[in-house]
Amino acid sequence: MKKKRKFFTAKTIGYIIITISALIMVMPFITALFNSLKTYAEFTAVPPKWIPSVFQWSNYPEVFKLGNFIDYTINSFIVTILSVLGAVISCSMVGYAFARLTFPFKNMLFVMVLGTMMIPPIVVIIPHFMIFQQMNLLDTLTPLWLLECLAQPFGIFLMRQTFLSIPKDYEESSKLDGCNPFQTYWRIFMPMVKPSLATVAIFTFMTKWNEILAPSIYLTSNEKFTLPIGILSLGGQWFGNEQYMVAAALLSLIPILIVFMFAERYFVSNFTNSGIK
Amino acid sequence: MESERINRSPTNLAAKKRSLLTYEGKWGLLLVSPYLIQFIVFVIGPLIASLYFSFSKYDMLNPPQWIGLENYEKLFNEPLFYKSLWNTLYFAILFVPTQAFFALLLAVALNQKIKALKLYRMAHFIPVISSWTVVMYVVDAIFNPRFGFANSFLIKLGLEPQRWLNDEQLVIPLLVLVAVWKGIGYMMVIYLAGLQNVPNELYEAADMDGAGTIKKFSSITLPLISPTTFLVIVLSTITTFQAFEQIYVMTGGATDITAAGGPNNASLVLMLYLYREGFSFLHMGYASAIAWILFTILFILTLLQLWGQKKWVHYQ
Repeated sequence: MKKKRKFFTAKTIGYIIITISALIMVMPFITALFNSLKTYAEFTAVPPKWIPSVFQWSNYPEVFKLGNFIDYTINSFIVTILSVLGAVISCSMVGYAFARLTFPFKNMLFVMVLGTMMIPPIVVIIPHFMIFQQMNLLDTLTPLWLLECLAQPFGIFLMRQTFLSIPKDYEESSKLDGCNPFQTYWRIFMPMVKPSLATVAIFTFMTKWNEILAPSIYLTSNEKFTLPIGILSLGGQWFGNEQYMVAAALLSLIPILIVFMFAERYFVSNFTNSGIK
Repeated sequence: MESERINRSPTNLAAKKRSLLTYEGKWGLLLVSPYLIQFIVFVIGPLIASLYFSFSKYDMLNPPQWIGLENYEKLFNEPLFYKSLWNTLYFAILFVPTQAFFALLLAVALNQKIKALKLYRMAHFIPVISSWTVVMYVVDAIFNPRFGFANSFLIKLGLEPQRWLNDEQLVIPLLVLVAVWKGIGYMMVIYLAGLQNVPNELYEAADMDGAGTIKKFSSITLPLISPTTFLVIVLSTITTFQAFEQIYVMTGGATDITAAGGPNNASLVLMLYLYREGFSFLHMGYASAIAWILFTILFILTLLQLWGQKKWVHYQ
């Protein structure tokens, strides 16, 4: 009762803190959005003006006219979609085998999955580069999605945990129906683990859509670039028109933002799972 | 089930003896085969290759040539290596505690019955889901040395405008600030999960004893979420040592890799040094040696963390 009369309760302070922090998170994006709607003169004005005097909506169509922006977008979608499909199928398949099947060297292999998680990608990136060079796959999009189709440790781990939590009875009944283990996995188990599949899909989407290191190593021709490195490469080309660059960058944020809005709860559960387990 | 197994195996005796060819065993191996390929071709093979390269002279054009410890000797006599090592450490020292502190602060603030919780959480996730390219342009709106808002604000206050990322002293602190801003939503959510595991009865009991908010925080919350704190510190330390994209993008690596690393290499971190040596100068052997040093450091850190976990993390 006493607390109600105080203005600075824990809750009010909590509200103040998160409101300030939410503003700190969002305001730079709004500032960039305003910048992307300015003329170059206004963009470079000193002192800067926050809100443009006339909103230059035509800056956005301009992005598609200059450079290879459309190519970058298509490439990003190809890499991301193939990676997501590959990751969902391979991680669930491998995770299923680890959780529900008995096979030789199973435990040893699983320890290796855990061990692989500790290896920094940078240690193996030079040999990877050489492998793809041998396979004549440099300057193609293949190296960017191929590894995802071969099951990455985090996804395997998450899927294994999920499959382990399903009761044993399901296999028994599907065996009676004459399903082989693959059919059991695909028809009976896959529909039951949709939330975890969504988590793997979204995590892969985010990683691949935003990836910079691998594309900057494997790709050399500009029209092969994905969005994050493609937009960076426009710097020289659009000198004197930097407001377009900001518009291009914000455009590249839209797909991931849409995915995030629809799947916010999987984002959160994914991060907490990856953290706690 | 047993009869099925025997029927399907080609040679019953051999299958039984080695149990390698059981029906389920075969399917199991088939289903893990994607990972087997990954492990052999893209993990173990490359690890061995990269260790070998680190003892060789290799420029990608000619076959690698064994030179023993020469790469490592060169590395330990190279001032730029020490500089990049120090920069990485400096980044980690600033970043790891700052991130943990603010993530906890926000998680505690969010961990009550709050209206529009989802909206608040989303706001903190927008930087998390943005690529470093997006972040670079967003940050540039504020910290551009010529027409950014930060300088215009400093001028209004009658202070000197700064060169921000072009300033040798400011570049790492500013990169850390941006990294905290980008990553905090992620760490906050991990903390939130940890906070939700703290039993409410403890707070109720503390209320009965008349403990204040700060007292409750320091004697209940903090010890009980120490596993989470530990995890946050582990995760962010490892990420820092592997940090590449942020510094590559924000200090202009995409246009000129030799420019990446900030003014006078003030923000050249280990990963960037490796990238520059390997992929710009094609010193693949030397770059592999850097990679293995980095690997060793991360390995030692992991061991230290495992040891530290036993020492000071309280489990319920």
